[in-house]
Amino acid sequence: MTRITRTTAVSALALSTILLAGCSAAEPAAPATDDALEPATITLYTSEPQEKADALVAAFNEVHPEVTVEVFRAGTGDLTARIEAERTSGDVQADVLLAADSGTFEDYAAEDLLLQYSPADVDALNPDVVDPDGYYTGTRIIPTVIAYNTGMIDDAPTSWVELTNAEYSGQIVMPNPDVSGAAAYNAAVWLAEPELGEAWLTELAANEPVIADSNGPVAQAIAAGTQPVGIVVDYLVRELAAQGSPIAVSYPTEGVPYVSQPVGIFASTDAQAASEAFVDFLVSEEGQKLAVEQSYLPVRSDVGTPEGAPSMDDIAVLSPDLETIRSTQDAAVAKFNELFS
Amino acid sequence: MSATRSNTLAGSADSGRTRKGVRPGQPEPGRRRPDGVTITRTLLWLACLALVVVPLGTVLALAAGGNHLALLLEGDVLEAGVNSLVSAVLSAAGAVVVGSALAILFDRTDLPGRRVFRLLALSPLLVPPFVGAIAWIGIAGPTSPVNLWWRDEFGGPLWIIYGGDGVVFLLIVHSYPIAMLVVSAALRRIPTDLEHAARIGGASALRALVNITLPLLRPALLSSFTLIAVSNLADFGIPSIIGLPERFVTLSTLVYRYIQSGTVDRPLEVVATIGAVLLVVALAALVLDLVASRRRWELDSSTSTPQRLPLGRGRVVVAVLTWTFVLTITVLPLLALLSQSLLPAPGVPLTLENLTLDNITRAVTARGTVTGATTSIMLATLAGLICGVLGLGIGTLVTRTKARDNRALHALAILPQAIPGLVIAVAWLVIAPRIGLFNTPWLILCAYITSFVALVVQAVAAPLSATPLTAEEAARASGATRLRALVDISCRMAIPAAVSGTVLVALTAVRELTLSVLLLSPGAQTLGVAIFNLQQAGSYNTASALSLIITIVGLAGLGFAARSPR
Repeated sequence: MTRITRTTAVSALALSTILLAGCSAAEPAAPATDDALEPATITLYTSEPQEKADALVAAFNEVHPEVTVEVFRAGTGDLTARIEAERTSGDVQADVLLAADSGTFEDYAAEDLLLQYSPADVDALNPDVVDPDGYYTGTRIIPTVIAYNTGMIDDAPTSWVELTNAEYSGQIVMPNPDVSGAAAYNAAVWLAEPELGEAWLTELAANEPVIADSNGPVAQAIAAGTQPVGIVVDYLVRELAAQGSPIAVSYPTEGVPYVSQPVGIFASTDAQAASEAFVDFLVSEEGQKLAVEQSYLPVRSDVGTPEGAPSMDDIAVLSPDLETIRSTQDAAVAKFNELFS
Repeated sequence: MSATRSNTLAGSADSGRTRKGVRPGQPEPGRRRPDGVTITRTLLWLACLALVVVPLGTVLALAAGGNHLALLLEGDVLEAGVNSLVSAVLSAAGAVVVGSALAILFDRTDLPGRRVFRLLALSPLLVPPFVGAIAWIGIAGPTSPVNLWWRDEFGGPLWIIYGGDGVVFLLIVHSYPIAMLVVSAALRRIPTDLEHAARIGGASALRALVNITLPLLRPALLSSFTLIAVSNLADFGIPSIIGLPERFVTLSTLVYRYIQSGTVDRPLEVVATIGAVLLVVALAALVLDLVASRRRWELDSSTSTPQRLPLGRGRVVVAVLTWTFVLTITVLPLLALLSQSLLPAPGVPLTLENLTLDNITRAVTARGTVTGATTSIMLATLAGLICGVLGLGIGTLVTRTKARDNRALHALAILPQAIPGLVIAVAWLVIAPRIGLFNTPWLILCAYITSFVALVVQAVAAPLSATPLTAEEAARASGATRLRALVDISCRMAIPAAVSGTVLVALTAVRELTLSVLLLSPGAQTLGVAIFNLQQAGSYNTASALSLIITIVGLAGLGFAARSPR
């Protein structure tokens, strides 16, 4: 139903555009670098927080006012459920998915749900976040770090290994890999890292960390001092600190695992050009500047880093082979559950 | 006067009902042309088919799509099943004890301050469980002030809320108001003259309560127990926040894990299979309920205004105990919410110069709040009214008429309570494109009705099943049609219960999260989702402020509603 009306609307508008094009000599240039597209409406499914998604759409509309973006925001699990349900009764209703971790995208690509598309300017991006097959592109670097309560911890831990010290017994909080996709990925990376591995994870478990629901409650617990030390994604910590919470980030010396909040286009889209323009914008200089303003680490090196974050060169990152991580992730979560139960 | 009532009391349900129909001089209500009752029954069945059978059938069809029964025997699923069952049964028992004790204290005794406390005791209904759970972590978490102090004094924490015991505790806190409302409605139908008779005969107040009132309340206690046990089977927010840190997994949190982690190939089929299992468990619970409720007393409707039981010398003690209890479980989390609302961010010390109204301003003015409030209030009102009418119809019909399909209709209306919101939402998502409701708020309304109609049905059925059919028979004898007797007599009697059921549905719906989050159309909002989004965005204190505002506005509305009819 909505599809039909949308298509008619699009063609009607396209027709009028063609008619108008004939007498558009005096028309002012499009407000931005890209050429204007045919007017279209795209639906974005995303796990970005509402305010950030709204800001993103507003910024995109400054470049492409002719594209209407409708946002459906939900947690990664809810998005997966909705997409699965839509597939059961027909096509996926979204045009663009901006969420989750690369694993979800790999699964969708394997089922032919995604279009192959390499964004404009792809060479300027961190090659680690670009899918070699072109099904998806990372849009932010979201590392998992150590965070601590500055009111309660004087000497912050600087490495993953330090967290196994007895002084942190009962003081640590971390997200549940059953709930948080990033946490599941981290478990696999830690286990694959020779310096850390199962021995480290066992010692960490001996300190009896509290396993909170997801990253949000973890950051909250650290800031409130419920547990003064935690393992959590870095941007939440910067945001809380900016609001005045006594919380700070420590990037462990061994390196940080990260996820990249990829974006991909569904093959069932009926607004391919507009969807591609949206993906281009996400990783463009403007799009990445916005990401930095929103406290994220960017995927390109020409836009700086958020206030209070070190420059990208100063952060040691763990970039293991994604194929290995994907194939070991389920076993890693099972191992995690076994050690921490 | 009281003698005739005692006679009625002695007459059991069966003798009262079988006599109907064969009474001389009254035409046999056989299969002639369909009368009003038959038409009403058909309409209610159609509504149930559309709003319950279709989504439940979709769940079963999805489950049948693949054979995942082997999965059910895996250790994880079995353990989660046991955890779900134990926490649901224990919390329902606890909620019924707490809820009916409070209902009796507030409705039947001269407890000082009962009006205010009755209202306050309803507040857990208005706080979204995921917000309440976080507030409780601040009160009884491992490093809460109480536990830290206790650790210093006695070497160990007093009680840490994480784990199975915490889940049961919080489920009780968030579901006893349901028992309280159902039992209160039933209490109003129990004539106080019976207690008077007992008192005149020399029984103590307590004895009259235990031997007269409590047995008469049995149907209400039973139906609220079933309702709460069945709906706590499906609760998600509390076990995920309180249970998971101690690895206490229930079926509804397991459902989420399967959807989210991508560890299974066909997540929807697996999840639907678990939904089907929960259906079977709920069905078993309903059969037990049916067996247990075979023997029921019947009562004449009460015409006297209830007289309050004087608590006598114990009044002060009981009052202090009740106040302490109600204040602890309701005001403490509200205070935790208030302190969070007034501080700029978590962890900022609570001092006078740190206090700010920014969160409250932001909560009230955020775009999501305004649109969310509009949508939620509209949907909650409609869901309340529709569930109220359907529940009144079904509840009256299944208790006041004799028909073979009564039990099926009754069971059908209650079953969806047992299925996690996520599974019901998925079912409606699958149906939506076929009925043209995709991306409309009406889809959410349908899901609300599926999930909440049981609240009204149980509230109505409880008091009605304990009332004899004499009044309807009198109406029939004076020439009223079956429908007329049902509408004028039975429905009238059930209206107070239906109203409290409607209020219950509206309160639950106004802050609902699981269904709305999946079924919203792009760009739309409900209040529960607005709070959740704020929390996801890291604005924890603004989320607390919004929850607090909803609670206060809701309580004010309830106070207003409670005042007008009396």
